[in-house]
Amino acid sequence: MIQYRFGAEGDLTAPSDDRLTVGDPRVIDFLAKLARKLLTPAVARRHPELGSLGFFLRPAELNRTVAHLQRDDAIVFPRGNVFHIPPANVDTIFVYSWALSALAGNHNVVRISERSATAADTILTALNEVLAEADPVIGRTQRMITYGRDDKVTAALSNWADLRVIWGGDSAVEAIRKHPLRPSARDLTFPDRTSWAALSAAGWRAAEPARRREAVLGFTNDSYWFDQAACSSPRTVFLVGENTDDVREEFIELLLQTVGQRGWEIDAAMAVEKRVNAYGLAATGAVSAMTFPANSVTAMSLNTVPDAPRRWIGAGAFPFAEVGSLLELVPAMNRQDQTFSHFGFGRDELREFALALGGRGVDRIVPFGSALTFGSIWDGYDLPREFTRLTTLVE
Amino acid sequence: MSSVFTLSQAAKEEILLKELSALTEHHRENCEPYARILAANGYRNATSVEGLPWLPVRLFKNLELKSIPDDEVYKVLTSSGTTGGEVSKIYLDKAAAAEQTRKLGATVQSVLGPKRLPMILVDTKAMLKDRKSFSARGAGVLGMSNFGRNHVWALDNEGHVDVEALKGFLEQYGKEPFLIFGFTYLVWLHLYEVALDNGLDLSNGILIHSGGWKKLVDQAVSPEEFRKRLAAVGLTQVHNYYGMIEQIGTIFLEGASGGSLYCPDFADVVIRDPETWAEQPVGKPGLIEVISTLPTSYPGHVLLTEDLGVVHGVDDGDWPGKRFSVLGRLPRAEARGCSDTYREAA
Repeated sequence: MIQYRFGAEGDLTAPSDDRLTVGDPRVIDFLAKLARKLLTPAVARRHPELGSLGFFLRPAELNRTVAHLQRDDAIVFPRGNVFHIPPANVDTIFVYSWALSALAGNHNVVRISERSATAADTILTALNEVLAEADPVIGRTQRMITYGRDDKVTAALSNWADLRVIWGGDSAVEAIRKHPLRPSARDLTFPDRTSWAALSAAGWRAAEPARRREAVLGFTNDSYWFDQAACSSPRTVFLVGENTDDVREEFIELLLQTVGQRGWEIDAAMAVEKRVNAYGLAATGAVSAMTFPANSVTAMSLNTVPDAPRRWIGAGAFPFAEVGSLLELVPAMNRQDQTFSHFGFGRDELREFALALGGRGVDRIVPFGSALTFGSIWDGYDLPREFTRLTTLVE
Repeated sequence: MSSVFTLSQAAKEEILLKELSALTEHHRENCEPYARILAANGYRNATSVEGLPWLPVRLFKNLELKSIPDDEVYKVLTSSGTTGGEVSKIYLDKAAAAEQTRKLGATVQSVLGPKRLPMILVDTKAMLKDRKSFSARGAGVLGMSNFGRNHVWALDNEGHVDVEALKGFLEQYGKEPFLIFGFTYLVWLHLYEVALDNGLDLSNGILIHSGGWKKLVDQAVSPEEFRKRLAAVGLTQVHNYYGMIEQIGTIFLEGASGGSLYCPDFADVVIRDPETWAEQPVGKPGLIEVISTLPTSYPGHVLLTEDLGVVHGVDDGDWPGKRFSVLGRLPRAEARGCSDTYREAA
């Protein structure tokens, strides 16, 4: 049973005579109007994450992305048909994934989870309002649907697609990959990821108190927004320097204050979840100390850097480990690692770290507060490029 | 009648603090993961029962926790959890296995008397053959069946009520005290209605039942309603109990007048505030911590459950000590992140 949430109803895989171009003005017009709707104060107040989305979809931003796609050695075209399978619970990803693909001129079908949250409904309402006054080609080429466990639909759309975009972690990728693609098509996958935070003790000590507060506020948003379970939410905090106990203590103190002020609530079930995980890490010898200053914050001391857990251990659960320099972390990083949020480091230090990683792990190195900010380069992919194909012409 | 419900709260706490502190040291010396947890938690010693270090009960699903060498493992109990197929593993040596049976016996004898009574099992024999559900339900029924004799199964192999078997049993044994055991919802669904429809005389029966109220709450049957309706078919000696495989042998038994569970002399409960984790005062609900001297072969002597409960009073009920109720279960925390979310994946 297919529920049509956006766009024309009917056969999703039927051949279409509609043609869009890379950076099609009708698409840019549509996305710009959507951005305006998402940036209205009423929406932004209720769902602040939609504000960032609206910002991402501003015409200037879109035009920059399109300009960036153009090249001298080839003509850029849409990839064709794109089937998006976004995650259920991070409710804005589907728009980023779809919007960049639409901007590239593709025909898109987006599967929206049955379990999608209220922000998703708000976006869909906005999308449909804009659609009413948009060029009809948008509705004919851009479709968003919800369907339950139905392998037939997934199989048909997989066979239709030139590119299949699978978000939602390893299990989603595995489940969806059971459905074959056409020989010419391929997958763009977003598997399970782990993200980290690093705090320079020297940088922290040198920072004004206001800067420290600001850093902690950013870190708090990064961590608590999606219950610390978004792929880019930091888990372990690396304290870089020597004798960093004072830094850790003040950081936790500010964290407790900020979480309280922001009103992030950690319920009893989550508190128990965190205890189970912390005790488990202690039992196996991964952590040597654990403290529970409040339900909102669980702090642990890791015995060694490789002991840092790569799985989700609850909202507001922070293993800490001290290292002498960022370079000491390089051997512990691997392909699963995505975002590395930082505070207090110099530009050279960060660049040296990035170069030492050599692309073997960590796709994003961003300051505290930007971990969740979506960009068109994500998980190591330049998404607009992934959504296009190239034709070479030699005269 | 000999009873294990004898100690006042103060007397009990004095004994339990001593025994459980010693047990904590015993496990610390013999169970390395447990020792690491205590070290990470900074535990040194307790000056009150409330101060004893608790483990979240779910740890037994994730970890192998035992305080005996492998070659002394006599029995491994497993319980299938309700979520994600995780299974608790409880390791018993010979001594612990014998002691838990003995203490469970002593607890039920506090209401049954020392003699084995003729017994109705409100269940089906077929269930014992079902390997999947055997561990939880079967172990409960088999464990309890030891305390009766001349058993009759109330349900046939198809799960229908065997009215003739019940009538035959009552004809033979119904004039003297007899024991009825079953899971709460089975008693409600099968025994109560059949007794009502067929005019069965259950007035000499002593019912011991357990297994959670969720299915009954769904049908809007409260524990009070349950007792009231059973009384209408003559069944007035009714004892609910609360217990878990992670503290096998320890059950918290409902007193004669109903409405409250009581702790045997070798066990206790602490209701914890889920915000401060301190003990709640009487009347304030919180998470139930169960305490028992029985777990000697694994560090399960102080466990924080994921059940909510409330203490109604201390030394003021059918038996001395704390009396409490179980109010329900804490929901399982779930992440709303980008991985772990595609369970309905097509």
